[in-house]
Amino acid sequence: MDDFTCPRCRTSKFQNPSLKMMVNVCGHGLCESCVDLLFLKGSGACPECKIPLRRNNFRVQLFEDATVEKEVDIRKRVLRDFNKKEEDFNSLKEYNDYLEEVENIIFNLSNNIDIVNTNKKIEQYKRDNREQILKSKGKMGKDEYELEELLEIEKQMEEARKKEIQLEETEAKKKRIREKEALIDELMFSNVDAKNIVNTFTQQAQQTKEEKTKAPVPKVTKFSTGIQFGRANQASFLPVPTDEGPLYNYKPVTFPTDGPRPPIDQEIVEKGFIKHVRGETEVERAGGFRSNIACKRALQDALMGLFHSKKVSSVY
Amino acid sequence: MTNKLKRYEKIEFLGEGQFATVYKARDTETDNIVAVKKIKLGSRQEAQDGINRTALREIKLLQEINHKNLIGLLDVFGHMSNVSLVFDFMDTDLEIIIKDNTIILTTANIKSYVLQTLQGLEYLHLNWILHRDLKPNNLLVNSSGVLKIGDFGLAKLYGSPNRVNTHQVVTRWYRAPELLFGAKQYGTCIDMWAVGCILAELLLRVPLFPGESDLDQLTKIFSVFGNPTEENWPGVKALTDYVEFKTFNSIPLKTIFTAAADDLLNLIEGLLVLNPIKRKECAECLQMQFFSNKPAPTIGSKLPLPQSIRKIKENDRQSLKRKLLDAVDGGSLSKRLLF
Repeated sequence: MDDFTCPRCRTSKFQNPSLKMMVNVCGHGLCESCVDLLFLKGSGACPECKIPLRRNNFRVQLFEDATVEKEVDIRKRVLRDFNKKEEDFNSLKEYNDYLEEVENIIFNLSNNIDIVNTNKKIEQYKRDNREQILKSKGKMGKDEYELEELLEIEKQMEEARKKEIQLEETEAKKKRIREKEALIDELMFSNVDAKNIVNTFTQQAQQTKEEKTKAPVPKVTKFSTGIQFGRANQASFLPVPTDEGPLYNYKPVTFPTDGPRPPIDQEIVEKGFIKHVRGETEVERAGGFRSNIACKRALQDALMGLFHSKKVSSVY
Repeated sequence: MTNKLKRYEKIEFLGEGQFATVYKARDTETDNIVAVKKIKLGSRQEAQDGINRTALREIKLLQEINHKNLIGLLDVFGHMSNVSLVFDFMDTDLEIIIKDNTIILTTANIKSYVLQTLQGLEYLHLNWILHRDLKPNNLLVNSSGVLKIGDFGLAKLYGSPNRVNTHQVVTRWYRAPELLFGAKQYGTCIDMWAVGCILAELLLRVPLFPGESDLDQLTKIFSVFGNPTEENWPGVKALTDYVEFKTFNSIPLKTIFTAAADDLLNLIEGLLVLNPIKRKECAECLQMQFFSNKPAPTIGSKLPLPQSIRKIKENDRQSLKRKLLDAVDGGSLSKRLLF
């Protein structure tokens, strides 16, 4: 990347060591100062392919080959819509076919093959799968889940290791101090030859050093509550709270009418009751009023209470 | 009359509306807590007309109906030129529950609320009564989780072909499109639209169509359902206040209610239909899958309560506890002297 020159101003890394190459969606590079100059207003055309570009889409070029940048860009954009996961397919073959198709689209777009049709294909896919796309946007795939789990385990293991090392170090320090004190005590209060004492102590120290074998770090595979990490053993969902009431089922409302049963909607039309009522106007119908409402009410009003007799009320 | 005045002991002031002030009171005969709604006299002109029209509507209709999901009118009494109505006391209403962001409403909770609303409304419609002012504020809930439809100040009998109704009913946000277009003859469909809006509000926790004017209201409605046409709503162009709107495309309800299951979406789709004839009736709605499917509607005692009521309940419990403690230790004072 050292021999890179900006295609517009011909500045090279040699002339300006702080030169930064930027790249946009079309895959043509420009140096930072040229970008500042050309896209002063926020948007403009690419000097090479004249495609309209936005300034805030410029990124620092990571790969030497700008077309790789372009492909990365395209891939990101395409995969935002083609975000189906392996779980969304019935068979591995279907999933592989789908991946193949996605790769084809990316290849076509990054190599300028049949751009119009490919874009059409993407649009079509977007339209057909709008719901699915929205749904899987927030969803993490199986792979990502597993990755996350692995990362978590790794993190915990590392922490455990760190703790272990720290503990060991303090332990060793303490031991050394203890040994030293023992040696001094021995030298101070015993009557044996000082040379012998020093010798036995150095031997002892050597022995313990050899004996010391690191106990293997126990692997953390479960939470403090005893539930295993991972989802392999969690085939079932959490228990559903059971404080539910009874399920509802509909019972029609009935009234005592003290009269003959009024005709139902169907009978009002079939038996010709409706003919004796003014038909609804267009405006009334548009407002939600039907003449059979009026007919039904008139009939109900007329029939209600026909069987009412004094006997019932004479109870008082 | 005077003994009735004494019968209800005022406990506290609850609220004030356009036509009335409401007090919490105790019925000294039965020792029940009730709500007393004292109708205001209003202007001199209104007073000359006699009894206030909304009060008259409430008295007339509520005396004849009796359903567990409709507010019960327990008593009516007058004093001088004032009229007071005595209702069941209700602790809160759906508006407070919706706005309380410490409450989480589950599908089962929502199912319970909507179910109770529809059952009350079905009874009402079968008795040829339109409520005409359904909104969360008028769906009252008590601490045992029973929902009752309240405020019958705009309610009216329907079904007479010759009587012209006013279209200036229902709070705007819950007003059906045919009313906004000035329909003078309408049916139960206007209440069903309001139920749809309330159901949506229970899900979203904000009003579905918070229109700032009648025209803005229609714009908001059409931006979801698309413009009405002669095909999907025959005769719409003949309505008195019909105006042509700029074209909107309908958007799927799934994108608005992202968390709603299909059976719930079906219910919303059945309630919020532009054409009033096509809108589902109470009985049809109650027979829909949503209500018979799991999860079962939450039983009353398990329904969530707003913060203010929860606090009161806790205080009650505490005082009871203290009383019990006092009884055991012989009062808190002696306890302190024990050292």
